[in-house]
Formats: sequence, structure tokens, C-alpha cells
Amino acid sequence: MKDKLTKEEVLHVAHLARIKVDEDEIEKYQVELQKLLNDVDKIKEVEGYDEERMIAPWSKDTTPREDEAKEMLNPKEVLKNAPKHSGNYIEVPIVISEEA
Amino acid sequence: MLDKSIQEIHEALKNKTIKPIDLVEEAFDRIEKSKELNAYITLNKEEAIKKAKELEEKEVGNNLLFGLPIAVKDNIITKDLKTTCASHILENFVPIYNATVVDKIEANDMIIIGKTNMDEFAMGSSSRTSYFGAPKNPWNKEKISGGSSGGSATTIASRDVLFALGTDTGGSIRQPASYTGIVGMKPTYGRVSRYGLVAFASSLDQIGPMTRNVYENALLLNAIAGADDKDLTSADKEPEDFTRLIGKDIKGMKIALPNYFMSDIVTEEIRNEVEKTKKLLEENGAIVDYVNMKYLDKAVTLYQIIAMGEASSNLARFDGIRYGYRVENPKDIDDLYLETRKNGFGKEVKRRIMVGSYLLSGENAKIYYNKALSIRDDMKKEFDRVFKNYDLIIGPTTTTTAYDLTDPMDDPSKSFMDDVLVIPVNMAGLPGLSLPIGFGKNHMPIGLHIIGNSFDESTIYQLASFLEKQLNLDLYPRKDDKNV
Repeated sequence: MKDKLTKEEVLHVAHLARIKVDEDEIEKYQVELQKLLNDVDKIKEVEGYDEERMIAPWSKDTTPREDEAKEMLNPKEVLKNAPKHSGNYIEVPIVISEEA
Repeated sequence: MLDKSIQEIHEALKNKTIKPIDLVEEAFDRIEKSKELNAYITLNKEEAIKKAKELEEKEVGNNLLFGLPIAVKDNIITKDLKTTCASHILENFVPIYNATVVDKIEANDMIIIGKTNMDEFAMGSSSRTSYFGAPKNPWNKEKISGGSSGGSATTIASRDVLFALGTDTGGSIRQPASYTGIVGMKPTYGRVSRYGLVAFASSLDQIGPMTRNVYENALLLNAIAGADDKDLTSADKEPEDFTRLIGKDIKGMKIALPNYFMSDIVTEEIRNEVEKTKKLLEENGAIVDYVNMKYLDKAVTLYQIIAMGEASSNLARFDGIRYGYRVENPKDIDDLYLETRKNGFGKEVKRRIMVGSYLLSGENAKIYYNKALSIRDDMKKEFDRVFKNYDLIIGPTTTTTAYDLTDPMDDPSKSFMDDVLVIPVNMAGLPGLSLPIGFGKNHMPIGLHIIGNSFDESTIYQLASFLEKQLNLDLYPRKDDKNV
């Protein structure tokens, strides 16, 4: 069992999670994340994995419902919680570069 | 008035000797007096008073819940009432619709008094990961109230209100109930709609009642249970009266006590209380057998994988775009995501999202998540095996009594291990309840965990009410401070 992740591994995991990790936090994450990964690695000691057999905690008929129009949320209401909006649109930074 | 029995309160409302507004005012007085316990994130004072006044025009009828104040955990969304999940990222989030359970308690003419404190996004076991500071245990203000439904447990234990809603993904109703000497029920997965519950781990989350006694707990479950078109995982079950077995004899009841639950991971004082309870049950005609159960010791590992995996996916929605906190002046869209999530989430949540993302990425999904689901099925079958021969399973709810608020938080495994005895129930989707059965050193409460078969909450209430009556404990922590 490892004591800590490498710096690169921490940055990889942080990238997957879309969470920025500052330089001075990396060391702490190297140890903490490894501790949790050592915990979950205990699953490797358990026998009996069967790909075909996984639990869903409910068993219910999942036939599709009728496709009928229902009341929708009011866009004005929805936008009240948006950090930035203009008209009926949510504002975000430019996604596609102007040069492209 | 709020210290009277629910029947007395109901009669008083019916006879018009009191009005709902009197109960609301009393609740807010009490909350004010116990303010330092930090049980609430947001109070709903204006609306609660308005609703209480509206109810004056309404017939009280036979609904015992009519006009009674209720506290709601802050991860259950409430229209026009701030819902933060105890997170900076949702600090100013005001939902535009109600969770189904909120519609249901309103349809029962209950009055929402406020939103209770909790671990951030329900991730933690001591409510200390709350962005708004931890709630304190009414039995001893130096101690934790447990988590993640710590605020709901606190406000019930200090008797501010009689009813609260909590949520339980890996023990978050039962463990704080045990630490604070109240009754907390996690119903069967699917019993209560999760629509409008901010998702943490969708295959485990369940909303449930937290109350000062067993009968009131069953009453609140009556009000919130039922299938819901808006939650595919809610179960199509006929409505039933969960109080119906309360007060019935327990003679001949068969109860299993797994050896693992009484092993040395549990402190001696707690094991002694459970032993005493076992004897009491036997003296009253129940059969209590020690049993061996496989997989119980694997539950925390399965939980870590499933809960962190599902959390990483569920919390991807908090990206600073549509609602919640957004970082100021991001350089570009990536910067917006990365900085918003870095500043918006607390340490525990970030750790879990990172590990969860890793566990679900590429081939890892097979090695960890899929395998965990497979073993989870084995675990469920193990419970099924025991329930072939037994009506209920019991054990302690927690391994220790509530610990100090100042205990270190630097071990990332600790918050999972606190719930080692209650997590198996979430894995199997079963109902479980914590009932106060005594006190440890320094008079901190000890809870008994009662586990039932799927959709058999009623038998749990039967046993719990029997013990409650036999033990007749004084569960009022701060008598002197209150105007009784």
C-alpha cells in the first residue's frame, strides 16, 4: 500500500473532478486521497464479483410513461438563481475563440 | 405547550384554547433560547406566522399533525425558502419549487419553521463540514450532534419543535439521533419520494422522520410516505398506518443480534446497554439470538465506493453556470468551472468528488463501482437470509457516544468509520431506526439500532415503542432553561 499519490496523480484526479488544486494544497491531497484509495482498495480482497449481477435498490416496472405535455418551469423564475443572465439566456464566458 | 403530548396539543387546538400561532411563537422562543446550538441555517419566521394565521380559518379535524411546527433539513428544497446544503456554493440558492415531502407536510397543515444545519451536501458524520459551523449537542455543548442531519437532531433533542425531517445516505438520520437521544427512522429505500432532495448518492439517499418519541415518528412517516410520479425509485405501496402495531405485545418476536455489531469495535458501555436491552426483551417473551452475518465488515468499503462515485456524478451539476455561486471574472469557461468548484466546495466534499471521479473513470468503474454493486447484492441476500428466520435485527447504532467538537478532522476515513454499524442498512435498502436506550459516562445518550425487513417499518415501531415504554427514560436534556 502506498503512502501517497504522486503530484501528477493528484493533478490528474483534480482534473477529472474539475476542481482546481493550488500548488500549496497538493502535498496534503497526496496523502489524504491516497488514504481513501487505500480504503477502497479493500474491495479487491472480496471475492465473488459477477458482472451480470449488480443490485439496484429498487425493482419497479420502468415502462415509459405517456408522452404528454406537462407544466414546465417558468424561465423567468429559473433565471432568478442564475449568477449572470441577459434576457432569457444565461451568460457565460466566450466558449469558442473568435479567431477559430 | 410543546412539552405536552401530541394528543393534548391536538385537543387544545380543537377546543381553541390555543391556536397554531401560539405553537409557532413558542417554537421561535425556544429556538432563540437555544441559538448557540446552531441548529438552523435559515429561519422561516415571516412565512411560518403567515401560515399559522391562515390555519386559524381551517378546521382542525382529526389530523394530529395539524398546526404543528416542523424543521426541515437544508438539503430538501423549499419553494421561496433558501436551501443551502450547508455549502458556500448554494449559499444564496432559493428554490422555485417544493420537494414532494415538503408538499406533503404542507398538505398536512404542518408549519415549516426553518432549515436545519448539516454536513455540507450531507457528507460527514459530525455536521462539522457545514459552511455555517457545526451544531452543538444539547446534552453537552462541547460535543458533536452527529451528522449529517445534526441540526435536525439538535432541534428535536432541545425540544424546540416536535418534528424534523432528516436524510440518511449512510446513517445520517440514525447516528445523530443516537448521539442526541432522539428517535430517527431511515425508511426503506423507495418508501419516501426523493424528488427535491439534493442528491448525494442516489441509490442510497432516503428522507426520514426525526422526533422525540416513537409514536410521533410513525405519524410523520404516515404523512411523507408514498409513491411519486416524479421519483422513479419511489415504491408503489398501498398507504398504511405505521402506528398500527404500536403498543402490541412482543411475545414470540424473533430478533437477531449479529456478533459483528457486538465486537470490540464498540465501546464496552454501549455493548452493556445493548446486553441489558437483550435481557429485557427476553424477559418479555421475545427470542433474541446471536447470529453470524457475512459482509457486514465490508459495508464501509462498499459505501465509500458507491457513495463517492455517485456523489462525483451528482455534484457535477454545481458548475457555476445555472445557479449558485460563480467565481468573479473568470478568464475563460474552464477557469470558471475550476475556480468556482474550488472556492464553492469545502474540503470534505472536494476530497470525495475527486476520489469518486477517479473511481468511475475508465477501467476503474469495473474494478471498483461495478464490483461494489455486485457485492452489495450479496450483502442484501445475506440480510434476506437472516430475515427468513427473524422479524428484526438489533445492535448498537454507534460505536461510541458523541465525541468532542474539537476532535481532529484530519483523518479522511474517520467520518466513514463513525457510521460502520448503520451503513449496511443503506447498502441493503432496508429500514432502520435508532431508539435511545440509556446513557454512557457523562450522561451522553446511547442508541439501539433496530433493522427491519424491506417495507416493514411497522414492526420496527412495534419493538421501539415497547422498549420506549419499558425504559421510560428522561430524554429532556435542558429542563432548567425552558419555560415548561
